[in-house]
Amino acid sequence: MSIEIISADHFTVQELVDLYNQTRVDYLVPMPMNVERLAEYIQLFDIDLRLSSVARTDEGQVLGLSMLGVRPPLAWITRLGVLPAIRRSGAGDALMDSMLAHAQSLGMQETHLEVIRNNVPAHRLFLKKAFREVDEYLVLRRAPNSVPEAVQCDTIWLEREAALEALESYPRHLTWITALASMHNAPDLSGIRVEFADGSSGWLVFRCHKFSLSHLIFHTEQGSPVKVGIQLLATLYSRYPRHDTYAENIHVEDPHLPALLGMGFFDNFRRIEMRRKM
Amino acid sequence: MAKVLYIEDISDNATLAQRVLTARGHEFLWAKTAEDGLAMALENQPDLILLDLGLPDVDGQTLSIWLRGEAALEKTPIIVLTAWPEEVARQTVEAYGLNGYLCKPVKLDHLMKIIDANLVG
Repeated sequence: MSIEIISADHFTVQELVDLYNQTRVDYLVPMPMNVERLAEYIQLFDIDLRLSSVARTDEGQVLGLSMLGVRPPLAWITRLGVLPAIRRSGAGDALMDSMLAHAQSLGMQETHLEVIRNNVPAHRLFLKKAFREVDEYLVLRRAPNSVPEAVQCDTIWLEREAALEALESYPRHLTWITALASMHNAPDLSGIRVEFADGSSGWLVFRCHKFSLSHLIFHTEQGSPVKVGIQLLATLYSRYPRHDTYAENIHVEDPHLPALLGMGFFDNFRRIEMRRKM
Repeated sequence: MAKVLYIEDISDNATLAQRVLTARGHEFLWAKTAEDGLAMALENQPDLILLDLGLPDVDGQTLSIWLRGEAALEKTPIIVLTAWPEEVARQTVEAYGLNGYLCKPVKLDHLMKIIDANLVG
């Protein structure tokens, strides 16, 4: 079978959604999308459809797709998927080569991607393409539940600009999904800052949707991250008691993790961040 | 005979469930998205809801909160059908106050058993 790689901007977002959903029909973690969700994804994560690719046969049958996010000097490969019936035919390989060629031609220094832990075929493909594992992240979930009352301390709710300002001071690495640039693209960003009488302080930045919260990023400036984390979450849920929460890419060693688990979050799945020097 | 609503975006899965459930005399309703699922649930008041967690517009967990938030659906049994690993499915059902789960690929005898068990009473 001869595989042709063409630019994703030759397709409508609906066509890309249909193809993407077909590639994920048997996926380890089911994540179907609709047009609105993919359009938001493209905007949020700086996906360039001209540099993203669709694989198809020379007869025009679509086989799979891959998308490239670009934030010089970094590129990010995402949404890679191939239709179940034609896996192991070289389409995934060709899509990866196309993404890397684009990243190279743009002069990117490094390309990042994330793979779900236990997705062995994808992990193997990325290793073959010279990607190396860097870190592991948790994707956590929390259903609305009762929470302990927040204790007395100075609390400031941060509007979008203040939340971005806090995030600018974040001292550790954030993956593409929660990176400052992604949050800059998010219209619904908020935050909370707490400060205890004993000097302990920290903040939480998050996205607030109509029925859910997502993209939680915690930072403790001083004091115990567990104490600060519990206070931040108790404050958050005092305002959003009925919101569902989806916390993506929390580092496995994030010091706020005990606070999250204590407040009813549970482990949905894990992602491994991989990088390749260009 | 019961009215069963299946909220599932993959038509093959829905077709299979429809075949099995209608053969048993149940009325089968199918919604492809969370939004349609909520609307159909409110309009038709099903006796039981089968819920896929991976939906294209809003995921099944969030939808279950919407469904449970409606007085008319507060006690409707909701069974999760999911490709998630069993432990995640179990935790999800527990955390979201749902009635049971089946991991995909779903065995038809398991599907009938869990439906029958949740329709009793």
